[in-house]
Formats: sequence, structure tokens, C-alpha cells
Amino acid sequence: MSSRWFVQTKRIALVLLLASFGPAATRPHYGGTLRVEIRESPPSPEVFGVPKGFVLTTWEAGRRAVFTADENAPGGRPFLDNVDIQLARSLRDQSVDLELRKADVVELGLAELRRPAAGRRPWSSSPVRLMALVFGPRVTDARVREALALAVDRSAIHSVLLQTQGEISGALLPQWITGYAFVFNATTDIAKAQALVASLGPADRTLSLAVDDAANRSIADRIQLNARDAHLAVSIVPATAIADVRLVETRIPSADAAHALASVAAAFGLNEPAPARNPEEQYLAERALLDGFRVIPLFHLPDVYGAGPRVQGGPVINQLGEWRFDSLWLEERP
Amino acid sequence: MIAAVKGWHAVVAALLFSCSGAKAADDPGGAARELARKTVGFAGKGGQVAVTWRNLSSLESAGSQARTAFEEALQEVGLHAADSSPTVEARVTLSENASQYLLVEEASKGDEHQVWIASWKRSDPAAALPAGLALQKKLVWEQAEQILDVAFPPAGMLVLSPASVTLYARNGSQWEARRTIPLTPAKPWPEDLRGHLRLKGASFQALLPGMRCDGSTEPSLSADCHASEEAWVLESGSRGLLLAEFAAARNYFDGRVTTQSGQRKNVTPFFSAASVESQGRTWWLLAETDGRVQMFDGSLDPVGAANVQWGSDIAGTDAQCGAGSQVLATPAVDRGQSDSLQAFTLADRTARPLTEATEFPGPVLALWTSGANSVTAVVRDLRSQQYSAYVVSVVCAN
Repeated sequence: MSSRWFVQTKRIALVLLLASFGPAATRPHYGGTLRVEIRESPPSPEVFGVPKGFVLTTWEAGRRAVFTADENAPGGRPFLDNVDIQLARSLRDQSVDLELRKADVVELGLAELRRPAAGRRPWSSSPVRLMALVFGPRVTDARVREALALAVDRSAIHSVLLQTQGEISGALLPQWITGYAFVFNATTDIAKAQALVASLGPADRTLSLAVDDAANRSIADRIQLNARDAHLAVSIVPATAIADVRLVETRIPSADAAHALASVAAAFGLNEPAPARNPEEQYLAERALLDGFRVIPLFHLPDVYGAGPRVQGGPVINQLGEWRFDSLWLEERP
Repeated sequence: MIAAVKGWHAVVAALLFSCSGAKAADDPGGAARELARKTVGFAGKGGQVAVTWRNLSSLESAGSQARTAFEEALQEVGLHAADSSPTVEARVTLSENASQYLLVEEASKGDEHQVWIASWKRSDPAAALPAGLALQKKLVWEQAEQILDVAFPPAGMLVLSPASVTLYARNGSQWEARRTIPLTPAKPWPEDLRGHLRLKGASFQALLPGMRCDGSTEPSLSADCHASEEAWVLESGSRGLLLAEFAAARNYFDGRVTTQSGQRKNVTPFFSAASVESQGRTWWLLAETDGRVQMFDGSLDPVGAANVQWGSDIAGTDAQCGAGSQVLATPAVDRGQSDSLQAFTLADRTARPLTEATEFPGPVLALWTSGANSVTAVVRDLRSQQYSAYVVSVVCAN
């Protein structure tokens, strides 16, 4: 009797165990609210664009945006019922919330990427943000601009401060879009930079540098040191100040080279690029924008998001870093 | 890696004039010849050119093809290999972007520098078809648009897609489209759209969420499509039948089912169903939306969870190889990964594999019983991004 009871109990236990820890379904699940956190706090919801398959249902400026599934979306009703986006969350807070499972999708900064986290799935776009130095109109001597371009040690910044995220570049557009970004010089030549600076008057050897994003301050500090090696005196000023040169980031909005180049040129106040019928003409148009060193491209960086274990499907973002919530669903997995 | 050439020839002018500035080349050879013409013009009469090559692209064979074409084009104009004091130093890089392959030449002559770029369009190679063992799979159709199901009426092949149903007929070894009937749903299709074709001779039914088409493939393709909430007929092998209501605007059956004997039941919502014979009795297996596979008796009364690690897609066959019927199932892997299919039988509610798993180049998006011993599997090929329909047959080992 007892042995039969034991066998029966074992069977029940096995069934219960299987019931508790059975495999998750592999077809997408409908329903649920995806909780997203971002650092930005855009002044209006239009900045987001509307994620495919959703409509904006709540907007609390500076705090929160909620998108709800559109039952009549042209591409079909998405799996998720809602996407709840918390705005103005620091990268650290986002990371903590992901760990505590208060958030499902967060941005990952360099510090967060370095820290391994169980159950976190990183999603990365192609390099879609251009980090560059952009000169203001006061710096009229091209030798100053070229000297700074030659002084910046992109390799050291890339390996140490950026933890090899993204790509070193001397081009406005990334290699994956054009295929010829490597042609633009991105190497350091301190001797040549020093020779250029030596030919300048003392007043031209000082520059003020502003950093638009405080998260890039360490990169600005390194550029300041690089400049000193070339005998240029760079002082870092507040982001709100009118500076000789600014360390900025701009987004590449399109995978189409002509559209992307026109957009980047507009963002940096450069001339409209010449129309191009083929890659060689496209290259010449980009080359013309960079002649004169008004803009010094430094890096092309990806957007990186982390997704919690409930998030299935994906990717969370596409190659251009745009959200793709329509392909996600939520599922509790053991 | 360095090829050096020297010399000059009268045909250079003709070659230069034949070069089109705006058009892409047709292939690596054409792109290489375009660069060679420009190099010859840059080097000048009697010049020597030293060329280094590198490859930043995902291509392998095209690099050597381009290099050979480049060197032959230089030789055509009378330049020959030399090993010292080049007039022009050129670095040619094979590169790529999303739509094109590029040959980028950076040429230097003293302080003069030139960059030339020639390109040709990308085309992705077709996917290979790996072989199976006891499961025999056959690729029957590929297309860029999503495939929901395929079926084979006497007139040829029917392909059900989100936007249409198309009849193809054989012309030698090729399938040719004979007629397409567009589908116009009242509401946009849901994500993870599913659809199923049922054949009865030349007649067919196309079952979609909230829509049904009744049609015929003879004398030509015709169909009457209308909004419908009627139950779908789910077949399993040659004998198992189940009527199941499909949840409108979703990707699962809502749990309202009718057995072959006419009994109506309410069960947990499920993605797919298969019947299997075991110990002389018929059982139904339902792959439920919570990931579990539940086992039911012939009256659709639950008997417990099956001890399996399957995904959401299962289908039944009853190839007469040894004992009874089989359940073909995908494994419980993430949807973005490559999938496989394996035949099982059930003993004491535990799955026992009958065959080796047969692999697919992407996730299985649809799996329907298509005959007594075969199923149709639709796969999204992760490499080519094409949708591929396979007929997978259970083949007796001997």
C-alpha cells in the first residue's frame, strides 16, 4: 500500500512539476503592458513618432507616454496591449528597474554594458549615431580645425572610454550605409598637428569646447589632453555657452545614403550635398562636406537596449535604432 | 598581394570613352574593368601600377574574380607586371553596403590622390536544402511574401498568402502562376496571421481568421470569399477530425471544439492539435497557449499534461510504419531561431521519438497535416528572409 502510494505520489509530483515548469509556447502571446524606460524627456510626443501598430493614449510631459494597440493597425494588431514609456529616467535607475523587473526594456549605457546581468537580453542597432566635433563660425583658420582633427586619438577613446562600442570613423556616414567610410582618414598624426599649430598665431591656439551631453564629458576631457599634445589649449565650457567647438551627437535617420547625408549636413549647418547617382558621386559629395574640417567625425555609435526575461520576439529595435514594439510579446518563463 | 603592371596602349582612349559614369556594373568583373580603365588613365603612358587588394566584404569568391578581371583589363591595354618603382600605388578594397558590393580604389601618384568607386548589385544566394533521415522533406515553394499554407489539387499547387490565393500549374520543371484571387479582409489581418487550405478533389476551402473562401481550381481558379466565424476543420492523419473555432484577430483556437461524434466541448485555448493512437485508443494532443501540451481522450475529456518539450506547432500523421500514428512537433525554441521537426509517438503520456529531427533554415511558422503520412511546414528562412513551404513525409525506414 505504502509503496503504491509512494509511486502515485511521485507521479502526481512529476505532473505538478511539469505543470509548473512546462515549456513556454513558441507562438506569440497576445496581451500585457510592456514597460519601457528612457533617458530622454522630449517636449512633445511627436518626437517619438508613433510606434508601428499603436496609438498614443496618454501623454504626461516629462514623465510618461502610453501607447495602446491599434485594433485596426494596417500591419495587424500588435501582440501587446500597451507600451508604457517612463521618461527622464537616468541610465542607472533604468538598470536598477530592469534588475528588479520593474521595467521590461531599458537603454544600456557603457557602465551597464560592462556589468553582466542575468536574464538581460541586449539589443543593438547598427551604428546610427554620429559623434563629432563641430566648429562654430569664430574659428576661421582651417589649420586650427585640421590640427585638432589630427590630434584626437580616436583609438584610445574607443577602446577605453567607449569600451569598443561602435566604430571609429572619419566619415559622416557609417560604413554599413555607404561601404566607403574607411576611405576618410581617422588616424592621429601629432607631428603634423604640431606643425600646423606652430604656423598659427598665439590667439588661434586656444579653443573653448562645449559638450552637449554630460555623459560624454570624459570624452571631451580626453580630447582636451590630445589637443594639449598638439600644443592647442582647449578649455571645456558649459553646454549652454557659445563655444568655438562642440562635441555633439546626431542621429543618422535613414539607411539611404543620400537622404542620410542631407540630414547630417542639415544638422551640422553644412551646405546641402550635391545630388549623387552612384556611390562614387556620393563619396565626392561627402568629401566636399568634410573639406575644411568644419566637422570632425569621431565615432559611429549604436543604440543599445536591454530587455528583461518577459520580453519575447523582437528585435526591440531595428537597424536604425527605431522601436519595433509590434513584433514583441510578453511571456513569463521560469 | 601586390600586382604591378606597366605600359600603355592605343586602346586606352576607347576604353575610357566607353566608361559610363552613373551606372552600376553588372558583376565584379565589370566593376573591376571600370576601375582598371580609370587607373590606366591616371598612370599615363608607360606608367607602372602597384596594386594591393583587401576584402572588407562578406564575399569570398568575388574578390578573386574582381582581381583577375582588373589585372586582365590592365593587360588588355598593354600594361604588364613590374616589380619596382611604380608610378601609381593603388589599394583596391572589396566592400559592401546594404544594397551593393563596392570596389573602392585609392590611388596615389606623388602628391596626387584619387578615389574611384565601382559597384554592382547584391543578390543573396538561395538556401540549401539539408537532408533528413526517417522524415523526408521536400521544398515545394519559396516566395518573399508570407506563405500561410500550400495544397496540391489535381490542377497544380495552391498557395495561400495574406493577400491572395494563387493557383500554379506545372510547365516542365517550373511552376507557373495561372490565376490569383486577392483576399480583402474587412479588418487588417492580425500579427502572426494563420491560414489553412483544405482540399476535396478540385474544390478547396481557405480558412482565415474571420474569413472563409470556398472555391474550385477547375476549370479555372475561382473562389467566393466572405466573412465567417465558422469552425475550422483540423485534420490529423487520414482519420482524425476536429472542428475548432479560431479566435478572430488572434493566432489561436479559442477552445470551443466539436468532436467527430458531434460532442461540443470547451477546452483551454490552443495553437494546434494532433491525434495519436496509443494502446489501441485514440488520443488528442492540444498545444495550448500557455506552452503546455494537454492530452485528451477521444471524447475530448482531459487526461493530463503530456510529458513533452514541444513548441506550439504539432500535427498528426498515420503512416503505416510499425505501430499506429505519429505526432510531428517542433521543439520549444525561440521563434527567432532555426527550427526542426521530429516524429513522436506517445507511451504512458510520454513522448518517444520515432525519427531523428529534421532541421530547417528558420522558424516553422505553420504546420498543417496535408495527407495520411505528410504535413506542410512553412518556414521563414533566416538567411534569405524568404518564406519556404515544405512537404514533410514520414517514410518507413525499410
